Order: sequence, then structure tokens, then C-alpha cells
Amino acid sequence: MSKPGIDGHWRGGVVVSRGLRDAGMEVIFGGFQNVEQIVESAISEDVDVIGLSMHSGAHLTYTERVINLLKEKGVKDHFLILVGGVIPVKDFLVLKEMGVANVYGPGTVVRDIVKFIVENIKK
Amino acid sequence: MKRNYDVDVLIEKFKKKDKIALARLITLVENNPETTTNIFNNFNGSEKDSYIIGITGSPGVGKSTLVNALSKILLESGKSIGIISVDPTSPFTGGAFLGDRVRMTDVSLHPNIFIRSLASRGYKGGISRAVFDISLLYEAFGMDFIIIETVGVGQSEFDIYNLAYTTVVIMVPGYGDSIQIQKAGIIEVGDIYVVNKKDLGGEDIVVQMEMMLDDATIQSGWRAPVVMTNSITGEGVNSLIEKIMDHKEHLELSELLKEKKKHRFAYKIEELLSSKIGKVLESLISKDDLNKISNSVLQGKKFKIYDMVHHLFSNVKFEMKKSD
Repeated sequence: MSKPGIDGHWRGGVVVSRGLRDAGMEVIFGGFQNVEQIVESAISEDVDVIGLSMHSGAHLTYTERVINLLKEKGVKDHFLILVGGVIPVKDFLVLKEMGVANVYGPGTVVRDIVKFIVENIKK
Repeated sequence: MKRNYDVDVLIEKFKKKDKIALARLITLVENNPETTTNIFNNFNGSEKDSYIIGITGSPGVGKSTLVNALSKILLESGKSIGIISVDPTSPFTGGAFLGDRVRMTDVSLHPNIFIRSLASRGYKGGISRAVFDISLLYEAFGMDFIIIETVGVGQSEFDIYNLAYTTVVIMVPGYGDSIQIQKAGIIEVGDIYVVNKKDLGGEDIVVQMEMMLDDATIQSGWRAPVVMTNSITGEGVNSLIEKIMDHKEHLELSELLKEKKKHRFAYKIEELLSSKIGKVLESLISKDDLNKISNSVLQGKKFKIYDMVHHLFSNVKFEMKKSD
């Protein structure tokens, strides 16, 4: 679970991480990270899911950069990528077209994220 | 989409120092211990020995931040480092919130470092089962130093002592009085003691630690030093590195390093054997047998439990074929 950039709204990322923990998952909390650090963490930790939590309005830029770097390293398809935060509905499709598996805006129930991960994890 | 964990391909890449391959091999040894034999067979003949440092202490004393500060200095001197950071697994859900890497963002992109977070997954003693196996992978990868950070420990979780050559125990101001410091357990396994967060005081703890250490019987010829640090500003960290290197030299000049290395393997061998024996035992004594005992205990036989276990066990026959 990462927060790209320096947007200080931690609550969402922490609440979702806690929810996933309580669903029996191991969550590596990355906190503020730049694009290189996010990709490096995901690779080193060999995670199943990359969660990007953003409330700054920069979700399109950051997501695109993360995905481009993953592709550059040839590991994009190794991970399930989820984006959450204050994301306008009109951007959901844009993000999905970039290669994001699902997007979670305000009002999301953590249980739905758990269900999606369990059903879509790459084996 | 299928994730690629083909061992042969990964080994080939691993030998070319590919970190992606290292990461995936770690996943394999952590999640499928039965693959470990096959993976390790590829490294026969690799003679690299890393120096293993253990960092331990209660939750919140600054272990991860100190690992970050130590790594920065070791990296500057051109060393390569493999870090294993363990955090606890929930006994209720099996989940974990791993929050050590978040303190190491400073060094995470350096080409000579590799950081892996681990959940303890029910393993007692402050580490996790896979720590030993991952340390061997790091050695095969050619790391100069391995730093193992334990979970935030209590008084009696000191398994790290069995794996690390230099164990650093971290304390903070307000640890307790002179009685706390006399207790057995975590407070006696340190080769070096750190009083971190020195901006909050802690001189009293240092004095009490020094007095305790003066009174302690020293068998190894090494009197553990006490260092004050502030892991955020980096104050005292150079001095901590010096002490670690002094201890390393002390072990190398005596036969002690060899002993420590031998102990590290003996510890794992014993653990692997007990786990195998545990499985044999499980297959010999059924859940029904156990159920019967627990039921009869409830019917007025609670003082018979030793007899019953002894009786059950007397029917188990272990045999070992002698071989050369």
C-alpha cells in the first residue's frame, strides 16, 4: 500500500490496509513513496497486489508513471494494481484502460476490496 | 495471467544478480518450504559468508529507523546489504501489517541493498521460520552484511541470538529500574546495547546497564558496550557501527565466529528435525486419540494426564537406520 507523492491524507490507505490485515492478508505499508520506490518495493517484496492511495488529484499522472515503469522492468503482468482515494467517476475508465484492475472512490466498503482481491489474485 | 516462478529460470537470473529473481525465490522458500531443497542445491560450492547482524528490542524503540541509519553508513563504505524485517502475524486472522520498510525509504533505491519484510506467521521467538532460509539466499547472492530485524519483542523472544553473529539490543529512556535490568532473557543476549531516542534522556539507563554489565560474568572475552543514539538524526550511529566492527573483529580473532556459525546451523538442523518428528508423531497419534484423552480428563481424571500421555507414547516406536 503506497501513497505516491507527498499528499498527506493517510487515513484512507491506513483504513484499507487495516481492513485487508483483518481479512487475513499481509499488507506492506509503504507510506509516501516516489514512483521508483513503489516499483522497487513491489518487486522486492514480491507482492500480489499494488495499492495506490491518492487524494491529491494527481492519480492519472502517478498511476501512468507507475505502470510505465512496471512495463519497462517487464513485470507489469505480475501484479494486480488497485487505485483508491478521491477519484472522480469519469476517471475510472481512464485508469482501467491504463491497466488498473479496479478503482475505489469515496464510500467504498473494504469488504468489496477484499472480495475483489480474493477473486482476482494472479496465481 | 500466471505468475512466473520457474525455479530453473529464476536461478539462472539470480546468478546474474537479478533482484527480481531473488525476490521470487524468497517467495518460494517462504511459501513452499518443500522447494527449498531444490533451490539450495543450485548453490553448492558457493563459499560466500555474509556477516549477520541482529537488531532487536521492544515495539517502537526505533529498530527499523536504526537499521535505515546503519545501512546508510554501510552502503557509503561500499558494502552490500540484505535486510530481513519481521513484523507479527495476527493470531486471530493470520493477517499482518508490515510497517518496517516505511522507515527505510531513504536507502531503498540503492543498488547494493535488498529489503524484504516478513510476517512471523505463527513462529515464536521474534523471527519467522523463513528467516534462516532467506539469510542463506542472501549469502548465495553475495551480500556482505545481512541485517535481521526482529518483531518488537518482549522479555523472552530472543531466537535472533541463534542466527546473528552480533546481536544489538535496543532500549529507550524509561526502560525500568535496576531490577528490570537484572532479569534474564532479552537483556542478556546483547553483544551491544543501544539506548535510542537519546533526545528524551536515558543517561540513567546507560549507568544502570553499565553497572549490570560490570557485574556480569563474561565468558567470551567481550564486555558488551552501551551506545546512545538518535536514529532519526543519526547521532551516535557511527559509534554503533564502530562497536559492531569491534565485535566482528573480536569474533574473527578468536574461534568464536566459527562457533557462532556452527551454532546457527545447529539451531536450524534441530528445528528441522523436530518439525519432521512432529509430523511423524501427528501421523501416529490421531486426533481421535487426543480427543479421547481430553474427554476422559473431564471425567474426573485430570490428575492422570501425565500417565495417559506416557501410556500413549509408550506405544510409539521410532527407529533410525544407521548410515555412514
